[in-house]
Amino acid sequence: MRGAWLLVCAALLRGPAALGAQDETYLAELVGKSRQLRLAGRVEWHKLVHYLPNLVLPGVHSLVDSPNFFNAADGETNPQSELEATLASFFSDLSETGERQNPQCAFIARRAWLDEQLGFDPKRMPQQPCTRFRQWREALDPAGLTLILASAYLDSPSSMYGHTLVRVDARDQDDRTRLLAYTISFAANTDEKNGLAFAVNGLFGGYPGTFSILPYYIKVREYSDLENRDIWEYELALTPEETDRVLRHAWELGQTYFQYFFFDENCSYQLLALLQVARPEMDLVGPFRWWALPTDTVRVIAEEPGLVRRTVYRPANATLIRRRLSLLSGEERALARGLSLGRVPEEDAALAALPAERAAAVLEASHDYLMYRRALGKKDVPDADALARRLLVARSRLDVPPQTPEVAPPGVRPEQGHGTARAGAGAGRRDGVNFQELRLRATYHAIMDPEEGYARGGQIEFFDSAFRRYESGSIRLESLTPIDIVSLSPRDDFFQSWSWKIAAGWTRARAADGSEPLVASVDGGGGAAWAMGGHRLFYAFLDGSARVNHHLDEGYALGAGASAGALLDWGPRWRAHTYARGLRYFLGQQDTPWSWGLEQRFTLDRDVALRLDLGRNREMGRTFNAGSASVLFYF
Amino acid sequence: MKKLITMMSVAAMFPMAALAAGENNVGGCGWGSKLFDGESGLAPQIFAATSNGLYGTNTFGMTSGTSGCTQDGTVRSNWKTAMFIDGNKEKLARDMSTGGGEALDSLAHLLGVEAQDRAAFNRLAKDNMARIFPSDTVSTRQVVVALREVLSSDARLGRYIVAL
Repeated sequence: MRGAWLLVCAALLRGPAALGAQDETYLAELVGKSRQLRLAGRVEWHKLVHYLPNLVLPGVHSLVDSPNFFNAADGETNPQSELEATLASFFSDLSETGERQNPQCAFIARRAWLDEQLGFDPKRMPQQPCTRFRQWREALDPAGLTLILASAYLDSPSSMYGHTLVRVDARDQDDRTRLLAYTISFAANTDEKNGLAFAVNGLFGGYPGTFSILPYYIKVREYSDLENRDIWEYELALTPEETDRVLRHAWELGQTYFQYFFFDENCSYQLLALLQVARPEMDLVGPFRWWALPTDTVRVIAEEPGLVRRTVYRPANATLIRRRLSLLSGEERALARGLSLGRVPEEDAALAALPAERAAAVLEASHDYLMYRRALGKKDVPDADALARRLLVARSRLDVPPQTPEVAPPGVRPEQGHGTARAGAGAGRRDGVNFQELRLRATYHAIMDPEEGYARGGQIEFFDSAFRRYESGSIRLESLTPIDIVSLSPRDDFFQSWSWKIAAGWTRARAADGSEPLVASVDGGGGAAWAMGGHRLFYAFLDGSARVNHHLDEGYALGAGASAGALLDWGPRWRAHTYARGLRYFLGQQDTPWSWGLEQRFTLDRDVALRLDLGRNREMGRTFNAGSASVLFYF
Repeated sequence: MKKLITMMSVAAMFPMAALAAGENNVGGCGWGSKLFDGESGLAPQIFAATSNGLYGTNTFGMTSGTSGCTQDGTVRSNWKTAMFIDGNKEKLARDMSTGGGEALDSLAHLLGVEAQDRAAFNRLAKDNMARIFPSDTVSTRQVVVALREVLSSDARLGRYIVAL
């Protein structure tokens, strides 16, 4: 549907009218000069048309997928002919309407750059006023740009990595009024509501990706208030001209579409491609051929010398509520909870007895918690909206300033955490046999990895694999796990999320004949977690497991069981994880395996860690010990 | 007198027809009521598509002009305040109840409230929070009308109704 109107627009923009003789002469001059200067080979041009070198064949191709982005028929792969056709299109006398633009305006960044290089003569090539662009720019009133990172949101597969966008900071705004700024973001253009379908289609480029513009307050509401994701703001140190270069190019991209791929041509990649036009020498997309995770793209921005002026942390609603609650006494906490659930009236004597500041803090916390629960869709409070208003009216009657606490930003920002790919080497002994092991993980973070910069209790691993060489035999694939996700959300009197986990892949398992085939398996579970202070986390799960392999009796095994464990931290470097799990495979191959053990990680450096794992296991009636030590590198 | 001011204020407000059509919804600009949909339960929590891909449909440089927005995605200047109030009602009510906060600061900025009047503006908003938000189902139009009334009744701040 959306594709249709894009094509209509393409048709309107195409078809340059025949040029007059004078125009032909001037065009020939410009083309001659552009060839002499070799403009089509310049990095600025390649950035503006989004050319990338071909993977195998010589030459380049553009990542843009909409035909209206090219003036030449072979513009997608031919920078020279695209440049010349663009110059020719600038002679168009097409006047601007609500439905179409003159090529000079539709390609306003190209015009600005080519004008800089070639010095267009306005007498020989009339300059178009480009009123729509001018009005758009006036509305944005740009003073600078800020990269926005909405941190990971584990409970939704399509945004587990976080999300990035660019905020256009207006001249008349300050830190207190940033809500009014506009943001430019790149997203898959779809009305798909099903996250799973969204994820699958997104993987294979099934949606057109487009740039769009929205007020920042909409985005803050979405990320901070509804999804409870902390936001990081990276203010960029760009000159006014550099800022304008980016905005002119954003305007060009506003009319195009790209195929949206989660893993490379995703939102973060496209934003980098947009931002890098600010400075000719800046190559931001270079490092990303296959992976472009939001935190990795922020890393590139942060490592570009002198590009980030300062960072601002904007805690999510839930983060702020936790902070508020931590400042209440036990009695005040109970009062806040009672108020927010409608069980304690606002005229309550205990509340009235509190000093005004404390009563205000209780009322503010109870209101925010009520709204938090409403955003989660909890419906156990009758008429939550009316209650929210009553709490606010009660708060407004207290003559004290806002009791909003400061939330200290985490000491380590997301882009300062460990690298997302991981390699490990180690040695160990299993059931009396020594082995050496190599591990490789494509991305992103495991619960036992160094936690700084990542969400506590969250694990997302893609394509983890382990190879082992046992002293008794040859090298074998020990496990291959395309996906392994764990979400541990601590529960308390205010926050009651469930914890869950899911993993799918291939792993070695003992069969009845004593062999250890690679069985396909899917494991999952649901449960709960509890925190004690900031350094102890306990969990308990009910688990399910399915396995398929022809070595198994009837070729499969289906089981259920339980697991529990504790994560214990001694400082930021040392984490221990002790666990016990048991399963009963009752369909197909019968077995009752269990295991318990202790895993430890010690961080040596941001990107280097040691692991020591010890465990006792039972499989197919045989009980054995296993232990290994390894060193892990993140990159 | 008060009644007259109310009537005048209603008449002088932003494009009425468009707002009346979708009382509580900025609509048309690609965002709006969608934001207020709550989803419940564990399954939606896990499988709901993130809004990363859902609300970002306000393409610019394309023909998608609607009431409150220009065809290129920015908010028309005479709609700015109304749009902001519409998208931030809960936050504004909250900020007004405490007499401070970034939503209230942003509203003051949109109304052009000068630095020396900010404290008085915040105080007035706090004292009249219950009047500006008379119910939990208040429409954006009602908030705007009430805010005009409250501002008009204040000798010092009355002049800021011009931008409302």
